Amino acid sequence: MKKIRPAPLASLVVALFLLASSLYYLVVQPGDIPLVPFWEGGLLICLVLMAVSILALHREGVNGKGVDGKGAYKKVVDGKGVDWPLGRLLPLAADLAYSLLILLLISSARIRPGLEFELLNLSAVFTYKIVLPFLVFLASFLAIKDSINLLYGYSTRGREVLVFSMVRLSAVFTLLLLGGIISVILFRGMGAISWEFLTSPHFRLGTEGGISTCIQGTFWLVMGAMLISAPLGIGAAIYLNEYSKHSGLKRVVTIAVGCLNGVPSVVYGLFGLAFLVATFGLSLLAGSIILGLMNLPTIILTSQEALKSVPNSLREGSVALGATRWQTVKKVVIPSALPGVLTGLIIGVARAAGETAPIMWTAVTFSATPVHMFYGVVPDVSQPVNNLCYHLLNLIYFLGAWDVEEKAWGTALVLLALVLFINMVAILVRNHYRKKISW
Amino acid sequence: MNSMAHPEKRDLGRSRRYGDGFVEALLFFAAITSILAMILIFYFLTFESFLAFREVGILDMLIGQKWHPAGEIFGMAPIIVGSILITFVALFINILVGVPLAIYLSELAGRRSRELLKPAIELLAGVPSIVYGFLGVLVLVVYLERSFDMLTGRSILAGAILLGIMFIPALTTICEDALRAVPKEFKEGSLALGATHWQTVRNVTLPAASSGIIAAVILNVGRIIGETMAALLVVGNVARLPSPVFDAFDRGAIFTSVIAGEMGEVAHGSMHYHALFAVGFVLLVIVTVINISADLVRAAIQKKFGGY
Repeated sequence: MKKIRPAPLASLVVALFLLASSLYYLVVQPGDIPLVPFWEGGLLICLVLMAVSILALHREGVNGKGVDGKGAYKKVVDGKGVDWPLGRLLPLAADLAYSLLILLLISSARIRPGLEFELLNLSAVFTYKIVLPFLVFLASFLAIKDSINLLYGYSTRGREVLVFSMVRLSAVFTLLLLGGIISVILFRGMGAISWEFLTSPHFRLGTEGGISTCIQGTFWLVMGAMLISAPLGIGAAIYLNEYSKHSGLKRVVTIAVGCLNGVPSVVYGLFGLAFLVATFGLSLLAGSIILGLMNLPTIILTSQEALKSVPNSLREGSVALGATRWQTVKKVVIPSALPGVLTGLIIGVARAAGETAPIMWTAVTFSATPVHMFYGVVPDVSQPVNNLCYHLLNLIYFLGAWDVEEKAWGTALVLLALVLFINMVAILVRNHYRKKISW
Repeated sequence: MNSMAHPEKRDLGRSRRYGDGFVEALLFFAAITSILAMILIFYFLTFESFLAFREVGILDMLIGQKWHPAGEIFGMAPIIVGSILITFVALFINILVGVPLAIYLSELAGRRSRELLKPAIELLAGVPSIVYGFLGVLVLVVYLERSFDMLTGRSILAGAILLGIMFIPALTTICEDALRAVPKEFKEGSLALGATHWQTVRNVTLPAASSGIIAAVILNVGRIIGETMAALLVVGNVARLPSPVFDAFDRGAIFTSVIAGEMGEVAHGSMHYHALFAVGFVLLVIVTVINISADLVRAAIQKKFGGY
């Protein structure tokens, strides 16, 4: 059982309080800061406690008691207690000096309300309300680091605790951040959602009405994109995995797919503008082709992954029964790989629904235009359509000029919900079959 | 012999073979579509930007200090500087949060919390960029404006923070896969030698996964440079050199924001139109080089440390 050192533990607790409170003021910025005396006191306590614990640790080493008082560990622990190599001492001294400096700056009113300064000609002004919490935050962060090190007597265990708590902290931070993003949109967008919002077209530059034509347009764009990318993508994956004999062609296609995967969405937009709009005009067809091409690499890669996971024994069994290659692929390989392929397709749908840049100049228009249907089932592909993403973009542009903020939140919520829902289906499908199939 | 005895069977075999050949031809066509698409994209961007490069001059265009479309001055230096600034700051945030998160998921998290976290993070990778841009405009830009007393919060810094946060899931997913692909024997060997968990992670797991991690980082550079909508809405989209070159608080422009911001208003076929295609061409070349090098780096490191 390890002896717990009280002094570093206490300073750790104080530093944690400083960290939390300064972070709060840094992020929320509620105006004036009533906590300043507490921060001064906290820094002082931290400094004293850390100095005490350094001395205690030093004495522990000198007296040769060891951390747990056992002979076997004594030497190791003694070495750590007595030894203060430069690499350990200097950062510690620097941290303490920094905290002391901050303390002095605050108490001598160098950092006071109304403080303003500019730095290096940057086009930002650093004011009291942001400088003070930041400095305290940094000081408390350093204090936590040193306190943990002192608490464990600079052992490797202490280092582990330190690093892993940072790692955990970053995980918590990310989750809070990403959770925050979703909940903000959810709470602000909820107010705008109503049956009418979902089922009526917008008018008066989006300040009134809903987003029905946008949902319609997005649906048909995604459908068109999938009609193009699904056969091509799955076909390419089958050819690469089941048919191709030349490794040269396979290699070239793999490189092309990798490149295509990395092409920025705005470049797809430029390509569509130069190539397709010249031929088909601003139309649903042009947008579908562009989105389809953009989805192609995703679908090829996921389908290939799925096909690869089908064991060769299945193919051999089928061929041994006299089936041709295509029969084998059709009856054996594809059904086995279906869940993986399906996951890829669903992810493709979500991607196509969330893209703005490729269709901005190729397929969409802002003024409400319902998709014109032939015989009620086939959409007119030569007309431009509305689109959720593009609608949201325009509403963002209008934010300052017209009262569209609520509609914008609503549109963002619908878009986010749509895309996340589709992605969730993909993940569920994958997880379901991953558990079920075991070769 | 057999086929002569059963002629109808032979016919069946032939039609089957022809059918097979037809299907194979179709599949072959599907396979080369991506090569075709890549060639077409390069062709059209080269074709449309050729005029601008010829009129302005390749060197003048690439290192020209001013981007002033109204005066027909097209120099990309401000755009390139903005892109470099944004990429570095965004990548810093990205790695600072993304890699520890991957370490947490692969090494520290229990089974249950991983089963919850991993899909959640994958889910977040799918949030549309326009939604990030929307939040950036209404939350991040306002926050920066208030904190730093800026003229407008739309700045290179805002873009960098937004892009850095946006691509955390992408980085984390690939890094986590790389970390989990490290064979158990490596870690167990290290632990058996008396190393602590952290020493094992630092000296064994991370080096063994380094090829995947570095490739993920390079891929993310490509993603950050190529991201359009979120950047367009928050960087301010003013293409001029920041006054100290590293002034991230100033408004700026990057490749994608210039194209997306200005393409809507230009006349088809004007010099500005061709200049924007030239920007797109440079962007395409940069991103393609980055993507290919990510692949090469992964292969090289795997060769050096041995594959597993």
